Amino acid sequence: MTFTAQLGGIYPRSEQLVELTRSYDRGKTERESVEKQIEEDTHELVRLEEDAGFENFSDGAFAWQDQLRPVVESLDGVTTGTRYSRWFDTNTFFKKPTINGKVTVAKFDPKEFVRTDLLPRSKSWKVTLVGPYSFSELGENLHYKTNADLLSDLARSENEIIRKLSAAGISQVQISEPCLVYRPYRDNAMTGSELNTALTALKNTVEGVNATISLQTYFGDATAILPHLLKLPVDGVGFDLFETEYAPLKIETKKKIALGIVDSRESNVEDRRWIAETAARVSKHIVSDRTVLVPNSDLKFVPRKVADAKSRSLAEAARLVGERK
Amino acid sequence: MSKLFPTQEIGSIAKPRWRTKGLTQPLTVNDLAEAEEWAGRLGIENYHDRAKELLSTRDQKDRVRELLELSTIYGLRLFERTGLDNEGVGGEQQRVEMYEHVIRGVEGMKVLGHVQSFDYKYFNKAVAESKIHRRHPIYLQEFIDVKENAKGPIKIPITGPYTLVDWSFGGYYAGRRSGSSLKKQKLEGKREFLLDFVEQVIRPEIRDLVDAGAEWIQIDEPAITTHPEPADMELFVEAWNETVRGFNCKFSDHTCYPSEIGYKVLAQYAPKLDKCKHLALEFANRDSTSLGVDAKHREGYHDLDYFIENGYDGEFGLGVVHVHDFSGHVPPASGKAVGRNIFESPELVRDRLLYAAKIVDDPGKIWANPDCGLRTRTWDVTYAKLESTVKGAELAREALR
Repeated sequence: MTFTAQLGGIYPRSEQLVELTRSYDRGKTERESVEKQIEEDTHELVRLEEDAGFENFSDGAFAWQDQLRPVVESLDGVTTGTRYSRWFDTNTFFKKPTINGKVTVAKFDPKEFVRTDLLPRSKSWKVTLVGPYSFSELGENLHYKTNADLLSDLARSENEIIRKLSAAGISQVQISEPCLVYRPYRDNAMTGSELNTALTALKNTVEGVNATISLQTYFGDATAILPHLLKLPVDGVGFDLFETEYAPLKIETKKKIALGIVDSRESNVEDRRWIAETAARVSKHIVSDRTVLVPNSDLKFVPRKVADAKSRSLAEAARLVGERK
Repeated sequence: MSKLFPTQEIGSIAKPRWRTKGLTQPLTVNDLAEAEEWAGRLGIENYHDRAKELLSTRDQKDRVRELLELSTIYGLRLFERTGLDNEGVGGEQQRVEMYEHVIRGVEGMKVLGHVQSFDYKYFNKAVAESKIHRRHPIYLQEFIDVKENAKGPIKIPITGPYTLVDWSFGGYYAGRRSGSSLKKQKLEGKREFLLDFVEQVIRPEIRDLVDAGAEWIQIDEPAITTHPEPADMELFVEAWNETVRGFNCKFSDHTCYPSEIGYKVLAQYAPKLDKCKHLALEFANRDSTSLGVDAKHREGYHDLDYFIENGYDGEFGLGVVHVHDFSGHVPPASGKAVGRNIFESPELVRDRLLYAAKIVDDPGKIWANPDCGLRTRTWDVTYAKLESTVKGAELAREALR
């Protein structure tokens, strides 16, 4: 049984980058200074990942304005629109995508997704994308007659994006699907046919890609959907431990399980021993040969110094629980 | 208010450079150029005497006090000149912003660092390091200045306890792990933190304001629509009712930018909010820019239906102008888009008000206001938007005559 640790998604900007981007926004700083600091932030995160011993490298996505933006900007048929919407139950916002034409992939530079030029060659690189189902739920569809049609084209497009990212050297892709588990904005529970459409879209998203795929859920309880997700052709499936009542579960799987065990919504830094003990306890309910410890969502919801401390604790806990086994 | 479609601002407007700079360093004549220009436009009384005093004051504390009072007067005059019926507190010139301003007055809270809100906008997020209590009055001096200088009715926006807790890290309250699940532990910690905020910080503050003569307090609770789960909504209602308990004062709620669920869940719980006589809500942000008073043209106002269906019988502060960046198409009759701003025409404001009056079935319950505070707009843009709000309300009144 192996325990490793990974980061993913958007990492918080340093206080220096916060200051520079604010100043740039007010027209008082050149873009070049912001770019330089983004590079510095990336280097700092890489150093942390290297020192802490993470399984692969995430670049922190410091230039991403929200979790959807680079995907939106790489698609035809979708615009960022003019509306800011709240990102689930957080105090952060995203520009709501407007789907106003057939969704296809436009020409894009993989560096808009991952700064491969700044990542070391010695490790594998990871990128995090919001999956087609959550994208369709969070966007505004003004074009497609059915959600199934929209999902089908989104899945095809994300598949193409993943292929291009893979060709650029990305070997690990985390597909985030919070809308599969966070649904208070919907009147009714997900129907069987809706679930099937979502799962089909996920299958199509990963079909034939040359990358390791993990599917992550967060902000909601994954117990009901976990068995379905574990049947998908992905390498790993993850869930948010701060939302999921895992105690009633008894699952054995050959897939890698990603435990969202560090709370990206709270500043208390989880003690490595607590992480290790909790991971060991959960692994009795969800039995897998491979467990990866991850934050429960993007760490962008905590200030940088808190994120750094949580990341180190996560990596130390992976070593600790590994030693105990 | 007997007048149909009275107008109000929601809270903050931008802080002029002279006000911001003057808080930390002495000002020069050049720094006051903008203040002088606006003094003429707004009719600031004794401007030259005040400017002379600002430039000659060596004592930092005296200068800060003078700056805060003067900038508040500017805000009040700006609202008066545009014709608003309620002057609020003159654009919250005495506050850092809605979150940090309160947190700085709370013992036990520590600011940890910046967290992204959206794009290149951030907020400084704090943690409860120990049990909390109020360090000093937070809004009282501002209210005293406003009361002395306002020429019309005022209302005091304060940040609500639910939002302050939701936007903070629980720290001390979140760290005490019991045997229950992690999810339950988080909720238990949040409740304890919230009720402490109500009792130790917000109620003492309201007591001071009411004792000083406050008649209308607007409680800003933008965070509540982000947690539509019943457990959180019930917690919100419990905290609200405890907050207002025993005070003889008009209370209103302002909630904006809800998550995907919109105002649907808030509408279910609004009738349970004691003494909540007015709901100021954001709508223009998600509305179309075409003219029209039917549901097709006024898609952004659909959620009003939910409040009526659930039996909320108070007033509505209707967001009729957008407060953030805009980049869409605007038909000429509806206004114009210039740079990152939309300038809504009075006709567009009118149609939004008339549509809402139809839904609510009582125009006497509708106020006109921006979606939220206009602090991200320049004063010129703010002035134009508020003027359009006032003119649009006039047009709506005419249409109903």
